[in-house]
Amino acid sequence: MSDLITVSRLCRSFGSFQAVKDVSFKVGRGEIFGYLGANGAGKSTTIRMLCGLLQPTSGSAVVAGADVARDPEGVKRRIGYMSQKFSLYPDLTVFENLDFFGGAYGLSGRALRSRIDEVLDELGLRDRSRSLTSSLPGGARQRVALANALLHNPDVLFLDEPTAGVDPASRRDFIALVRRRVAQGTTAFLTTHYMDEAEYCDRVGLMVAGCLKVLDTPSALKANHVPGALFEVRTARRGDVTAALNAIQGLATIQRIGAGLRVRYDPSPGRDRVAESALAADPDAVVEAAEASLDDVFRAVVDQEAQ
Amino acid sequence: MSSALYAVMRKEFRQMTRDKRMMALLILAPTLQLFVLGFAANYDVDRIETATCDSDRTAASRALRQGLLADGTFIDVGPARDCRRPGDDIRDGRAKVVLVIPDGYARDLASGRTADVQVLVDGTNPVIGRYASSAASTYLNLVSARRQLPSLAAMSAAAGAEIRVPTISVAPRVLYNPAMRSAIFMVPGVSAMVLLIVTTIATAMGLAREREMGTLEQVMVTPISRSELLLGKVMPFVIVGLFDVLLALVVGTWVFHVPVRGSLAVLGLGTCLYLLSTVGVGLLISTVSRTQQQAIMGGFFVMMPAILLSGVMTPIENMPGWLQPVTWLNPVRFFVEILRGVLLKGAGVVDLWIPFVALAAFGPAVVALAVGRFRKRLA
Repeated sequence: MSDLITVSRLCRSFGSFQAVKDVSFKVGRGEIFGYLGANGAGKSTTIRMLCGLLQPTSGSAVVAGADVARDPEGVKRRIGYMSQKFSLYPDLTVFENLDFFGGAYGLSGRALRSRIDEVLDELGLRDRSRSLTSSLPGGARQRVALANALLHNPDVLFLDEPTAGVDPASRRDFIALVRRRVAQGTTAFLTTHYMDEAEYCDRVGLMVAGCLKVLDTPSALKANHVPGALFEVRTARRGDVTAALNAIQGLATIQRIGAGLRVRYDPSPGRDRVAESALAADPDAVVEAAEASLDDVFRAVVDQEAQ
Repeated sequence: MSSALYAVMRKEFRQMTRDKRMMALLILAPTLQLFVLGFAANYDVDRIETATCDSDRTAASRALRQGLLADGTFIDVGPARDCRRPGDDIRDGRAKVVLVIPDGYARDLASGRTADVQVLVDGTNPVIGRYASSAASTYLNLVSARRQLPSLAAMSAAAGAEIRVPTISVAPRVLYNPAMRSAIFMVPGVSAMVLLIVTTIATAMGLAREREMGTLEQVMVTPISRSELLLGKVMPFVIVGLFDVLLALVVGTWVFHVPVRGSLAVLGLGTCLYLLSTVGVGLLISTVSRTQQQAIMGGFFVMMPAILLSGVMTPIENMPGWLQPVTWLNPVRFFVEILRGVLLKGAGVVDLWIPFVALAAFGPAVVALAVGRFRKRLA
């Protein structure tokens, strides 16, 4: 069996609110699957159903061979889960946290000790094992949470916004650790709203208002879901240039970025036409064609949804 | 023991012992409370402030007053301020009792007539009121009877034959608490109460705290069973409770001279069954509470009636008939019966089979109910 997660027509409602609507997808062994979406789009609800924490309203999901509705405990034995709030005991040390959760997974005695040593080494936490988790910096605390989720060698790792509120360097380190794990055969399912994090995923699904809108590899998404052409305009006079660019037919999105503006036209008026207008508003403006990013995919899909 | 159950207990103990304030609340507070409440919960009436309104002002009236004050229970606070309104001294709290001896007391006695004496008693606290009026009546009846003796002697002499007056001699023998000190009765009750408060609140807050912190979600995603998790969370509090009972016994015997006439093993068994009930109730509250605040409120909601309907403060026999069956659902009631039975009477399991069976049924039932209610799922 190569699909470790099989989701078909999964729905979940809270009262009259439909948090997840008719979602279907499959995740293969050794894949990093990214689940992208704004807050409240249904990412956490989906992941909680897949972990056996929430009963689906309808539809089915099979994770590592166990049905989440009928055998949630079977699912729990085979998965590791790390949520956005690092759910560790702040008043226990790193070792004590791992000791407890390892025990909860049925590990004990020497087997538990050696597994704790292994994950501490794997995640570079050996010298932290006696520190209270409340005293650790965010990045280290997050590695402890990951260590926790890996103790029982799960087949699937569920990471619910694992890097929320962590600095970019720690975020990169964290993703590298996850990738190393995945290279050893673990499957990872991760939700995020950081686009740079999504870039590291083998495939990315995009949630908008409870629906899975698009699902593909990051490069295919960028190639197929950003219609028209993208330009970046470097300018100090954003206001004037914005007005000028607005006048060109086909403007789809315009956003402020560090050094100026990023615009998408659909259909494209051509770089020369954009440059002409921009220069008319600001003689120092520089216009360049831009590559599509996952952020653009996200905007395009959300825009399409809004129309 | 399953490794998961053991892991939960280990973790709970670590958290408990790391939290110094929690340890103080679990160990120091109950012992201190027992020490203070043991003195406070005292029905022994040994100070009754007494004012006198002696309008007779004779040797006889002074002797009557001296006699009433002689045993030290009635404490003299001096003459009443206004003999026309002797009740004033009671209303403003200066006295609990006012002895009113009207003018002519000595004259009436000397002429062989009935002399009137009035005793005003403050009945706001019925315990003091009842004791004061009965003690005053006993004393005055005794004085009255003594007064009759010379008359009887004179009558015998006049009749030329001895007149026999039959009397009943009563020698009540009080068992188990011969000095009838209320501390001996109250301290076991207060121990049960203090133990209830500590263990119920601590366990009620346990799950709610984890729910608030978000750690419960992390625990629920492990394959740990509900009973392993819940039993693991309460077992440490049962152990702490046993330790508290040991401390309570030490304080009870040393400070309050409560006897230990029965077997400590019987007491230990009863305590274990009781603690299972109290932590079970806490656990049940915990499963229905979303926040720690709700857990505390729920705890008090359950504990107040449990204490008042336990027979610690007031005898269950004094409660109206429709209310008494309610106490059959109250573990405190049964533990107090066991404590008093074992400590004061030296009773064994056979003598106390009813409370033992009741606790053995209640504890596991309430724990099972809590486990059944708890869901390893969100929402």
